[in-house]
Amino acid sequence: MAANMKAVKLRIKSVQNTMQITKAMELVASSKLRKAKERSDRCRPYFEELYETLETIAKGNTDFSSVYAKPNEQQKVCYVLIGGDRGLAGGYNSNLFKNFLADAKGREYTVLPIGKKCLDHCKYHKQDITDDRFSVIADISIGDCFEIANLLCREYKKGEIGSIRLVYTEFVSMLSQAPHTKVLLPLSELGSDETKKEPVRNLILYEPESTEVFDAIVPEYLAGVIYGAVCDSLASEMAARRTAMDAATSNAEEMIGKLSLSYNRARQASITQEITEIVGGAEGI
Amino acid sequence: MKTFSLTIGTPDGLLFSGEVERVMCRSITGDLAILADHCNFCTALGMGGAYIRLEDGTQRDAACIGGMITMMDGKAHLLATTWEWEEDIDVERAKAAKERAEQRLADSSLSEKEAAIAQAKLNRALVRLSVKNQL
Repeated sequence: MAANMKAVKLRIKSVQNTMQITKAMELVASSKLRKAKERSDRCRPYFEELYETLETIAKGNTDFSSVYAKPNEQQKVCYVLIGGDRGLAGGYNSNLFKNFLADAKGREYTVLPIGKKCLDHCKYHKQDITDDRFSVIADISIGDCFEIANLLCREYKKGEIGSIRLVYTEFVSMLSQAPHTKVLLPLSELGSDETKKEPVRNLILYEPESTEVFDAIVPEYLAGVIYGAVCDSLASEMAARRTAMDAATSNAEEMIGKLSLSYNRARQASITQEITEIVGGAEGI
Repeated sequence: MKTFSLTIGTPDGLLFSGEVERVMCRSITGDLAILADHCNFCTALGMGGAYIRLEDGTQRDAACIGGMITMMDGKAHLLATTWEWEEDIDVERAKAAKERAEQRLADSSLSEKEAAIAQAKLNRALVRLSVKNQL
């Protein structure tokens, strides 16, 4: 009985330690989440506006002279995969990868990972990596996004990649985050997977010329959308971690409760047994 | 005068949303102003001074760097990389940036990329100063 009691006591101690860590992580995640959410809220209108504008342009576009606008033969897809740097965030990373693999199935592709976990994932699955310079999502600034955009544009113009897709986690609310895939290029594919409305062919005047306008706009558009997705993903990661850690802490509390119960039972049983033994011994005399 | 709705957004947030009479900014080919009832239109922005004129005639100046402006079905969207209202521009900082960039450009040992960065910094500082009329 004594050995059992000791084991239970040790177990309680270890669960307590774990709970301390998860609690601390929850607090850290909450404070980081606040900052990340502020940033994401600030750039969200821009991000949405930008994507919508490009979508409207893409829908109304009849001029396919720019390389960015027209569909092309190159089958290779470049995935910009935005995930977390660290684990312990519940299903955050694995949901993202599931979504990504489902979308990538049957396609020829290369990946531009943002976030250490994404890089690890790509390496583990031996996927083709475009560039691993941007693997730490916490360090990504708007400047880095411009660099990524320029890099993608170069590859796209060279014809190395035929389309660009973005996989990230959308921050729906504090408690819910959903992985999401967006088509970035070519513009002709934008909005094509949405519920089909009768496309209204709006004629747009491009000044000075559509090719030049797209050449100037597209890198900016990519950078803006990627930056928005990075902000959203970061906020999602923190929210997912906070929820996961919150669940872990309450789990630990529950475990401690159960363990203390069985510890107390064992203690009581051993005391009762001792008393019975003493009483039995006294009677024997 | 007739007004139209305009939104101005940058990665730092939505800076303006409302009715304006006119918006002027510098595109990649030169200055342009947009009035109400403009046809559907799209162009990329360069670097330069910009202003919007509100319904009551007040004019708000700003420095606008990079981005795009579109006019779709009577609604204008100006999505800039940087858009700073005239009152938010820090003259001292811009002056310091200008001097730093000029010094940097005077150094002939710069690589092409470094020179381009310095030149871009100088241009940005000059745009800010010109909006403040401090050149």
